[in-house]
Amino acid sequence: MIFFAQEEAAEKGFNAGETIIEHVSNSSHEHPLFALPRIFGIDLSVTKHVFMLWFVAAIVFILVTWTVRRYLRQERLIPTGFMNAIEAVVEYVRDSIVQPNVGRQWVETWSPLILTFFFFILTANAIGLIPIFEVLALLDRFVLHTSPDSFVKHLIHGGTTATSNFNVTAALATITFGAIIIAGSKAHGFVKHWKNIVPHGLHPLIYILLIPIEIMGMFVRPFALTMRLAANMTGGHIAILSILSIIFLFAEKFGGALAGVGVGVVASVPLAVGISGLEIIVVLVQAYVFTLLSAVFIGMAIHVHH
Amino acid sequence: MQFVHYLGAAIGLGMVVIGAGLGIGKFAAAAAEGIARQPSAADRITGAVNLPLFLLEGVAILAEVFILLIVLLK
Repeated sequence: MIFFAQEEAAEKGFNAGETIIEHVSNSSHEHPLFALPRIFGIDLSVTKHVFMLWFVAAIVFILVTWTVRRYLRQERLIPTGFMNAIEAVVEYVRDSIVQPNVGRQWVETWSPLILTFFFFILTANAIGLIPIFEVLALLDRFVLHTSPDSFVKHLIHGGTTATSNFNVTAALATITFGAIIIAGSKAHGFVKHWKNIVPHGLHPLIYILLIPIEIMGMFVRPFALTMRLAANMTGGHIAILSILSIIFLFAEKFGGALAGVGVGVVASVPLAVGISGLEIIVVLVQAYVFTLLSAVFIGMAIHVHH
Repeated sequence: MQFVHYLGAAIGLGMVVIGAGLGIGKFAAAAAEGIARQPSAADRITGAVNLPLFLLEGVAILAEVFILLIVLLK
């Protein structure tokens, strides 16, 4: 995206904010990748984040099922190669995220959900960091020269991180919200689960204050999950791109490519590399945090602490 | 006067960062001290520190999102 911005900069000035927002946000609804008909007034066209969502889901599904099937087909159940990586992750998530929070009795019930969250979020976050479509944009600019309305041109607009879209993380948090209710209902029965929301045996007047707070808390938890994941993924990308756009701002301000290159070599690129390193940690930590908090909330519904 | 909301957002962002930094610093200091006193309990201390740390981070991120909304929506 920045390469186009540079070209436009010569004509009407480089707008850093617009370029960055275009890079982190979804591609526009007016020019979707695949146009689909509206159903019940909902536009079902595939934009870039939807495309990335499916792409990530396909990668996770193929990699994990293929590896696990191959593992189960072996005569001696000893993992080799990529199976080791998956086994380590599965064991870690089961033993130090799910089991301490959910309890020994319910580990087998909730591990699959938490593991799915972990693999999906980790893959989606990590793919967002790899500039595949920027490489495609470069190729298109200098080699392919596709027409302005081609599939490739649509593909290089908008961000690549599916989890930086608030709708995606809201959907994931909604699954957690449902899982909390199902976990409580399975452990205590449906009616008892709703009674467990507030501690019993208090003065009746306290309930007037407590019940609204607890009901609010029920919705705040998935909301915080949504915001945390999406804002973290968006924030990191914005930080990297702001630092990189200093190059173009300097080149424009001091009227020459040399100023831009100088700032890029001295400040921008080293800083951006540093923040990219930090982003790799953030990618891992956010996948961990989402799964940990989901496990904690499910555990709170099962083991009521009042 | 049309830049007042930018000023408010900037001051708010700074205060959020100060608060979150102090909070995370206290967590890290307490955890390091605890682990130094009792290295064998490192895993449990890390586990106990992690959850409130992420809740704190969540509050800070929420504040940043609201600041972004103030700036974008005016």
